[in-house]
Amino acid sequence: MKKEHLDWATTHFNSHLQGAVELELWTIPYYMSAMYSIKDRSSDAYQLIRTVINQEMLHLQSAANIANAFGLSPTIAPPTYEKNKIPHLNLSFNPSSATEPYMNHSFDIGPLDEERVNGMCLVELPDQGTTKSELILETLIDQYSSIGAFYDALRFGASALKNDIKGGVKQVDAFAAFYRNMPNMVISESGGTGLDQVNLLIDLITDQGEGQCKNGIEVPAVFQNTADDIEPEIDHFEKFRQIKDSGKLPETYAVKDPCDYTAEDKKLEQILIQQFGQLTELLQALFNGDNPQNFFPVMAGVGAAITNCWKHGVTPKYSETNQL
Amino acid sequence: MNNIVFRVHPTVNFARFGTSDEYILSPETSAGLPQKGSKVTGGLPIKKGTDNTPISSKDLRDEDGNLKKQAARFRIYAYEKQSEATYPDNNGLKDSKGVDIEVTIGTKLPDGRTVTDLLWSSHLANKKAAVYNVVNNKGIKAYADGQVPQMRNPEVHGKIDDPSRLNVLMIDAGPRAISASSNETASFNRCSTASCVRDQAQIESLPDYPIRFPEDYNDELYEPNGPLNTLGDMLTDDQGRLLVLSSSGNSVGQYDEYGVPIQMTGDLNNVGWFDSAADGPVNVTLVFDDGSTEAAFGAWVVCGDPAYAPQIRNVVSVWDDVYDMFVRDLSLQDNLYSKKNNALEGTYKESYKPNFAEDIKPIFIACDLQRWTANLPPMALHAHSAVVNITEQNDPNETIMAALNFIRNPNKDETNIGAPLMPLSLGAAGTSFLTVTKTQYFMLEQWSKGHFTKGDDSKLSAGELIDMASMANCLGGRYVPGIEVSYTIMDRDIYIQDWKESGSGPFRIKHDLATLAYRGLNSDTPYLSSGWIPLHDMTDGLQPGDISKFMATPWQTDYNSCSIHATAINTDGTNKSNGAESTLYWSWPAQRPDAVYVAEEVFNNVLPKQQWSIRGPGTYAINPAAAATFQDPLQSVSDWHKIGFIIQGTNVDIDSQDFSPELYLEVQSQLSRPGDATDPVPAWPFNANSPKAKRKCSHK
Repeated sequence: MKKEHLDWATTHFNSHLQGAVELELWTIPYYMSAMYSIKDRSSDAYQLIRTVINQEMLHLQSAANIANAFGLSPTIAPPTYEKNKIPHLNLSFNPSSATEPYMNHSFDIGPLDEERVNGMCLVELPDQGTTKSELILETLIDQYSSIGAFYDALRFGASALKNDIKGGVKQVDAFAAFYRNMPNMVISESGGTGLDQVNLLIDLITDQGEGQCKNGIEVPAVFQNTADDIEPEIDHFEKFRQIKDSGKLPETYAVKDPCDYTAEDKKLEQILIQQFGQLTELLQALFNGDNPQNFFPVMAGVGAAITNCWKHGVTPKYSETNQL
Repeated sequence: MNNIVFRVHPTVNFARFGTSDEYILSPETSAGLPQKGSKVTGGLPIKKGTDNTPISSKDLRDEDGNLKKQAARFRIYAYEKQSEATYPDNNGLKDSKGVDIEVTIGTKLPDGRTVTDLLWSSHLANKKAAVYNVVNNKGIKAYADGQVPQMRNPEVHGKIDDPSRLNVLMIDAGPRAISASSNETASFNRCSTASCVRDQAQIESLPDYPIRFPEDYNDELYEPNGPLNTLGDMLTDDQGRLLVLSSSGNSVGQYDEYGVPIQMTGDLNNVGWFDSAADGPVNVTLVFDDGSTEAAFGAWVVCGDPAYAPQIRNVVSVWDDVYDMFVRDLSLQDNLYSKKNNALEGTYKESYKPNFAEDIKPIFIACDLQRWTANLPPMALHAHSAVVNITEQNDPNETIMAALNFIRNPNKDETNIGAPLMPLSLGAAGTSFLTVTKTQYFMLEQWSKGHFTKGDDSKLSAGELIDMASMANCLGGRYVPGIEVSYTIMDRDIYIQDWKESGSGPFRIKHDLATLAYRGLNSDTPYLSSGWIPLHDMTDGLQPGDISKFMATPWQTDYNSCSIHATAINTDGTNKSNGAESTLYWSWPAQRPDAVYVAEEVFNNVLPKQQWSIRGPGTYAINPAAAATFQDPLQSVSDWHKIGFIIQGTNVDIDSQDFSPELYLEVQSQLSRPGDATDPVPAWPFNANSPKAKRKCSHK
């Protein structure tokens, strides 16, 4: 039977919802690895990355809440990392003038170094306006020039399918107290009112990430962290650019060649893989309506396991197929 | 006969305020720690007349609802004298079962002598109004480089030790001595006569001792809870152990020229106010059946706040600080830490293995217990549960505490980093956040490397255990200025430093023996002086009142205000933390409850919403930074005794309800009734209102 256009669009839109979750999840180990490689936890670089990671977790929650409002409970799997690949983005669509300063980059897991700082800037690169968002429902999902462009497309699709929005379905709200100015972080309403809430979360993600860049404002007050951010008014891209422009990156733990790993090193590597695997299972449960009590301890345990790896010179791995 | 030394334990003990004439006993177990054979964790006060039966919620107040005092109980233990004492000291006298022998009336020593009497003496004083201001953002540094802070009550003319000033401002009840065999009692009050024990084991009356109380030099005082005419009492139990009772905890203030109580201008150094906190030495002379006598190494008693959450363990307690200082400065355990002569810092020994139950688990337990007195968010509660569930069998690398990823490192400059580093409460003077001590951190590091011992490995003697328990039940780390004691408790100069050679054992405050000789008394001239101060090379020992004088006056205003603050309160008004300027954190969450669960609102062990510990009329705050406090400091002086206590569910005695031992609930509050409207408790993180805009200079 021939599919109606809307059925087809829903399927494709759902792939975008799933893609958003994958994209947000992908950033977290990448950034966490860089942060925990820094020896001095009081350094600006460490603290700036920390604030970004916290917001990436919020973005993951937001993407999952949007997906659930459209009836899609996202699938969570350990991400994989390649030197030149960000899920669903194609940076070559950007003008070379925008990406040129960051060409020496790597999206592979590693310590905070020049390649990683450049990579982090590219992940958060402001949208250059080169992707036509209205083509969302008929284009490939991996052809967005930036996260901003990806979410523009998502916004377009959400609007087109707003009647599918159902409020109060499998919504997660772990961060409200950190954003006292934010009216709501969940989709509690259906239809058009629900769409306003969806768009609020998309604005939250993009304004915190690439910045609003309007009227001299990067992150509007409504989206600013009110609790534990050293520069809540600065977006992720600017935070990473500050680190890049600081001139000297902070000292990181020495990295061993995997060939030199001791038995203990290999055990630490396995602990992280095991714990991150458990975390993804818990995230899956969390965003599928469960309330796993050990979610946060496991999340924190992953951070501890990453630090433990770096302290032993072991480069973190998040799955057996961590690096392709 | 000379190969035995006697020591009074605990070396530092705490009597707690109460408005009732009845009393219970201060705890002799360590807050929050498991007790063998019981579901009741340590730290609960003890029922009167028992060796160690924990109180229930109904024992906290008398029939009229008055708060019972907690008596500090002192015991004596005997040790074989060594050329050098050790810690732990394994040379205590033991019975045939290997149990440490406590020396009481009737105890027969191995040398054949039997104890026939115990002559106890003490001396309580309160010098707060006569000495120097607490400088909250400087701490002990206010005394550095030969300097001293501004004097309190500067309007009273004279230098710090002028008799005219001391007469007006110092409260000195004088010494008292009692015979245990005669069941004597003594009051540290204005109307009784001072007395002391002389060399021949005789109690001597001192009618010329210049006892001083505020009413001696003030015609009229504001006395919301009655006159301040006593600092406490002293008696013995049926075994001859000493019990020291505090005063009622009341405070009195002068009236201003308009006839109203003098305004309280702050939390720490209120002019014209006196409270009835006190401290002083405790000594005992043992009298034997052969006529011989021997003096024990004495102790110190501090009379202070009621300890509203006795089982909620501080992550850093006074014990942790004092132990840390003795390890690093006074050669407590050479197998743990060594320092070359004159070196500022030594090194911990990698070969040292901490014991999980004794050195590591208490930190984890303390972390988890904070939930009962602070408004922690769910994610923190789950994380803390994961911490406390770590056992000695776990591989540290597989736990949430791996690599100590979330512990603030006291050896690095991390005191301005907030969450996720722990502890998340406010720090010492000049710092944003608290750190564990260097010794605690070393122990944790050793554990995280898998370098620790398992099982019950405690080698502490009975006396040493109560030394530890007594101090472990008190607030450490954040002495701004503190609740029971201040930063001076970590100053080596106040202790007997030759504790090995002298036989005194560690943690014993040095008495100013010249002062305690009580010679040259004149009822018109103050006997005590302003006394010891830190960082001025004073090592002759302490006078009565030399511990509590570094605390706030009156004590209630500081207790009241130290609920929640932004970090800038510690750092000269400038936010140096890595968070928002307005984010609020807890000041003393374990010792000064902030948010609690009211037992009467719990059903089927389901927790209700949290309530502020200080709530009800007079506590409604417009600014969250002032929540959980009496808005008028005068109310803190009059109503402090109405605050409830947080105790374990096992010992909550409310009709028709059984409570889980996992719960620690508020009982016996007189500030509100269930169902009353109260200020809501927000989830953390929460924020103060924005500060007022700074006034601009009109010339610009």
